[in-house]
Amino acid sequence: MAPVLEIRHVSKFFGGLSANSDVSFDMQPGMIMGLIGPNGAGKTTLFNCITGYYPPSKGEVIFKGRKLSGLTPDKVCKLGMARTWQKVRPLAKLTVLENVMVGALARTGSLKVARESAHEQLAVVKMDHKAGFLAGGLPIGERKKLEVARVLATRPELLLLDEVMGGLNPAESEEIIQLILDIKKRGLTQMVIEHDMKAIMRISDRIVVLNSGEKLAEGLPQEIVNNPEVVTAYLGEAHV
Amino acid sequence: MNVFLQSLLSGVLVGGVYALIGVGLTIIFGVMRIINFAHGDLVMLGMYLAYFFFVALGIDPFLSILLVFPVMFLFGALLQKTIINRVLNALPQNQILLTIGIGLIISNTMMLLFTSDYRILTTPYSSSSVDVGGISVSWPLAGSFLITAAVTAALFWFLTKTDTGQAIRATAQDRDAAQLMGINVRRMSVIATGLGAGLAAVAGALISPTYYIFPQVGQPFTLKAFVIVVLGGMGSVMGATAGGIIIGATESLSAVYISSGTKDLVVYVLFLLILLFKPSGLFGKSRM
Amino acid sequence: MLRNLLRRETRRGSVFPPLAAAAAALLALALFPAVVENPYALHLMILFFLSVIMGEAWNLIGGYGGQYSVGHAAYFGVGAYTVIILLQAFKIPPWWGVWPALLLAVLVALVIGGITFRLRGPYFVLASIAVAEVMRLAALNWKDLTNGAEGILVSDIPPLVLGGHLITNWVSSKVPFYYYGLGLVVLVVLVTLWVQNSKLGYYLQAIREDQDAANSLGIPLTFYKNVALAISAFFTAWAGAFYALYVGFIDPQTVVGLDISVQIVLIAIIGGIGTILGPVVGAAVLVALSEALRANLITDLLVKAGLVSETSRIGLFLKDNLSHAHMLIYGVLVALVILFMPDGILGALRAWVRRRARAAAPQGR
Repeated sequence: MAPVLEIRHVSKFFGGLSANSDVSFDMQPGMIMGLIGPNGAGKTTLFNCITGYYPPSKGEVIFKGRKLSGLTPDKVCKLGMARTWQKVRPLAKLTVLENVMVGALARTGSLKVARESAHEQLAVVKMDHKAGFLAGGLPIGERKKLEVARVLATRPELLLLDEVMGGLNPAESEEIIQLILDIKKRGLTQMVIEHDMKAIMRISDRIVVLNSGEKLAEGLPQEIVNNPEVVTAYLGEAHV
Repeated sequence: MNVFLQSLLSGVLVGGVYALIGVGLTIIFGVMRIINFAHGDLVMLGMYLAYFFFVALGIDPFLSILLVFPVMFLFGALLQKTIINRVLNALPQNQILLTIGIGLIISNTMMLLFTSDYRILTTPYSSSSVDVGGISVSWPLAGSFLITAAVTAALFWFLTKTDTGQAIRATAQDRDAAQLMGINVRRMSVIATGLGAGLAAVAGALISPTYYIFPQVGQPFTLKAFVIVVLGGMGSVMGATAGGIIIGATESLSAVYISSGTKDLVVYVLFLLILLFKPSGLFGKSRM
Repeated sequence: MLRNLLRRETRRGSVFPPLAAAAAALLALALFPAVVENPYALHLMILFFLSVIMGEAWNLIGGYGGQYSVGHAAYFGVGAYTVIILLQAFKIPPWWGVWPALLLAVLVALVIGGITFRLRGPYFVLASIAVAEVMRLAALNWKDLTNGAEGILVSDIPPLVLGGHLITNWVSSKVPFYYYGLGLVVLVVLVTLWVQNSKLGYYLQAIREDQDAANSLGIPLTFYKNVALAISAFFTAWAGAFYALYVGFIDPQTVVGLDISVQIVLIAIIGGIGTILGPVVGAAVLVALSEALRANLITDLLVKAGLVSETSRIGLFLKDNLSHAHMLIYGVLVALVILFMPDGILGALRAWVRRRARAAAPQGR
């Protein structure tokens, strides 16, 4: 089967700092790829390069067989790739429903259709009862769910989740894990950046490990967990 | 060739004073990340101060900077403490609107108090010049350039060799880190604003013998200061110095080779070009 | 119901009460000249309409889109100059001349947007100011076209004749300008309402709230900003054309100057940006204040209140000068609003209403 995403030798330099260095891997449709690594390893940078927030300094990103070089984030979204943000970005002065509608409007010009689609996605994350609340006033757990609902409304084929469980309590994290598995059942492909190793082990089909901008390892969860280099990179942080 | 050298030279000399204005603005921006749209009006206040010191006390404008600087330093510090400090965390658009408002208050209060009559400060050497190798150099311009050079040197010394100066630079570089290192960043903001205001006023005092003095004279200086600072790189003192001289020269050459009515136009167009193609300026590195 | 009127009207639902109120207001305004004949009152209303149009137009790009242009004088000036030049130099009546003026303003907006929209926050503000200054200097120096600093005096707007009947000669009464102004206000408000409830409106607000997030949700930033700016410039230019015809004289400082740009922003932020009612409140406050200043009402008030003696030096000083202190008061207002009421009068009112509601129901929300 043709890979849905191909990362080919992607490097990103900021002045003298190499945030990503020659990273390559593929993703098959429908899979969940875990992307892990210590802080500063370049995970979010990779997301930013993939989605067009800034272009890679070197290398190529190929999505559904199409080179993404130079495409702006809005075009990438229209092609079917959506991402959430490490630091949640609600549209604060809009309501929960309106936030998700903004996502839905990527696929329709009709407010009515967008509204229906938004209610649908809010139901998926179980936040439809909060449709009229201002997004800026939500607690962190709900903001994260809102962001997921919002990107789901853009009807992506590939979903990039950046530390979507960050700052959540165990109950909230469990909700998100179930959500991710749910989304997988609907046929979406996902790449998940996470620090919660237990969660990553549960949901990932494969894992890529970044360290200091380079790809340290790639493989099945069990392979990664038993990889001595990975353990060293995480020394003191592993809680598997 | 002579015409070219002549206008280039007077442009550079004026540019020195422009540099002073730009440096003041860039320091304020560097430390507080606030774009001070009232800066030109601070220059105007310096001009009026120099005028009144001259007319009432007979003090030469070049000497009066010794009085103008401390007075305007205090004014700037007060402005920061009472008003500007309140908006440090507001939207940048709101911050600039506030400084626009402050500028309007300053210039229109002056208009209320002193009317928009032009005042002229004529010193005995106002129109004298010296001949240097076939090029005529105006005394007031040369004098002000020399003083500007001295002031800039003093400023460099202050920023690099004194504790307070280094603290200011640290705050400009990374406010949070500076605070964690024990620097009183609020005090730095106050001092930076005072410094910026003082420098702007000194520049005003220096050019007071060569410009008409009236309340609205500040506005073109504000925009010019922005061009200078963006050209040099927001927050870079060296950049503002270089930028000032470049803008001075550009203005002078435009006035001679195109027309004096369009010299402002050239500067603003240059501004837009810089914003479009090299917004971080010559020496700056801020991402916009 | 007060609450409904004050909210940022981004939601549907309970449209009816505000609709009824608006209809009533419109009726009252339409009948006003039949009841009130005082030309000064009409003049004030015309100024009020003009300010409302300018404020609502700015709101589209500034309030909804979050792009604070302090250079809208560029469009105001294009509107004014184009209509007047076509009238004076080519004898084209303003009801035809306004259309090329509006078209030109939109084109200018697209160019300006193309240049400035890649800049963020304060840099965008600066660029917008610089662009307007360039236009003002162009108007000042292009003497062949604009008469430079001398300005252009409007002489003889041709009488409006429809189907053989003389509607108005524009001179003997202010009433035609009143209805022209009112019509424009209705148009701008309808357009703003339409934008609010459209994809454009939602996208603009997303851009305002978080540009990068909006971008990642499929929103092409420059395109939508440009659309909003084009509509904004369209109506700002129309206001400029209206002003030029009404006042009868234009020069670069008056119609392309920074003062106009600041005034426009002020109208929008005093009332409360991002709402339809905001610029209406702002316009009312500013026009009232301007006239009070001009007519020395403020000085008289201070004298009556016994704070200032009429014959004292301060009293005489105020009497002579306060009427010219327009821009000073505007500066003070801007500062006060930013410092104490960043959401404008409506925002402060909303907060007050919310606080009272919470005080009345202390348990839970």
